[in-house]
Amino acid sequence: MNEQALITDAQNGSLDAFNMLVLHYQDSVFNTALRILGDDDLAADATQDAFISAFKSIASFRGGSFKAWLMRTVTNACYDELRRQKRRPTTQLEPDTDDGDEMDSPRWLADPNMTPDQKAEADEVEHAIQHCLDNLPLEFKTVVIMADIQGMDYTEVAVSIRVPLGTIKSRLARARLRLRECLQGFEELLPASYRLEEGMNVS
Amino acid sequence: MNQRDLELLSSYLDGHLNPSDVTRLESRLKTDPQLASVLNDLRATRSLLRKLPQRRAPRNFTLTRKMAGQNPPLPRAYPFFRFATVFATLLFVFSFGANSLARQLATPGFGIGGGGGAAQDNTQLFSSEAAATQAPAMEAPATEAPTEPPAAMLPAPTLGATAEAGTRIETTPAQKNGDLSNATGLNPEQSRQAEQNPAPLIPSTWQIGLAALAVVGFLWMFLTHQLAARRWRKE
Repeated sequence: MNEQALITDAQNGSLDAFNMLVLHYQDSVFNTALRILGDDDLAADATQDAFISAFKSIASFRGGSFKAWLMRTVTNACYDELRRQKRRPTTQLEPDTDDGDEMDSPRWLADPNMTPDQKAEADEVEHAIQHCLDNLPLEFKTVVIMADIQGMDYTEVAVSIRVPLGTIKSRLARARLRLRECLQGFEELLPASYRLEEGMNVS
Repeated sequence: MNQRDLELLSSYLDGHLNPSDVTRLESRLKTDPQLASVLNDLRATRSLLRKLPQRRAPRNFTLTRKMAGQNPPLPRAYPFFRFATVFATLLFVFSFGANSLARQLATPGFGIGGGGGAAQDNTQLFSSEAAATQAPAMEAPATEAPTEPPAAMLPAPTLGATAEAGTRIETTPAQKNGDLSNATGLNPEQSRQAEQNPAPLIPSTWQIGLAALAVVGFLWMFLTHQLAARRWRKE
């Protein structure tokens, strides 16, 4: 796939070219939205909104990292969704069981190719991480999702959320520290390979 | 440990420190076990986050043309036909309104100035009608069989009497307006009909033409749109 050619075609109005880009990036965009929002349905809606918005404003893309540009669109869509939720706080983030109780470990997150043990383990880890991510301030959460979960470069993250590189470094360090402290509370849930070392204090 | 050291360790982990800072930090790490411990914790946290499984998108998020706000390409003449159709429709509706208004203004009792006289005549007409209706009713017992129902309930004499009375009173407006009927070449009966059914402001042939134009325009627009959308979907 020649990304630049597809972008140029999409800028000239080719929906087919843009849809090729969508197919290439939709997993990353959806995962980013999922980690920011913590809910499948909301993440899917935000992803769709982000791609619609991206197509309408693709003429404004002036080169550089297309992924970073796309991530900016999806983070904006997620922020809009969070603002909507704040106005109407009715959305439940955990699925109910048939009895109406919240599930401890949402099964919908499981990969169907895993063994039951792996699935249980992954569920626990994923649940713990998502819980800790949800407790982070939004600006920290966005940076750590992009840098550590999506594996984006500092510069790409800076472009995506339009803040200076120094701010990205600072937010990322603090986000990692907070996550580390939070995940220590799930130590017994985490498998041995995931356990963290004790005894870190930052003043 | 201070914030500055935390940021140094985080950047070091990602390979974003310049060589001189790297040298300084590595020498400190050898002598400071707490700093080394924090580095290990940050590394473990980052590793944990990177192991988080990437989920597959639950569906394809490709855009349809509708989502993208794209419309099928329409012929160049389309806007002109749309304008003409809407204009014809508006004129058609307006013609009904105009004709209705013209009829109301021409009807006795709704006019201005001369209408007052006509209203008076109208009153006379009604009173004449009432008198005519009552007259045969009073005569009925003498002419009709006694077994018949009361004449007031019978319509036949009433109609005849009304026509008679109507003819009688029609002379009144003609007299009031001088020799209008003579001037226009109409006899009193024709002028009465012309007064009751004045010529419409917009002729009905125009209305039919406008209606036909609107219908044809709408049909043409609909078919053009359907054909363009079908051709567009095939592309």
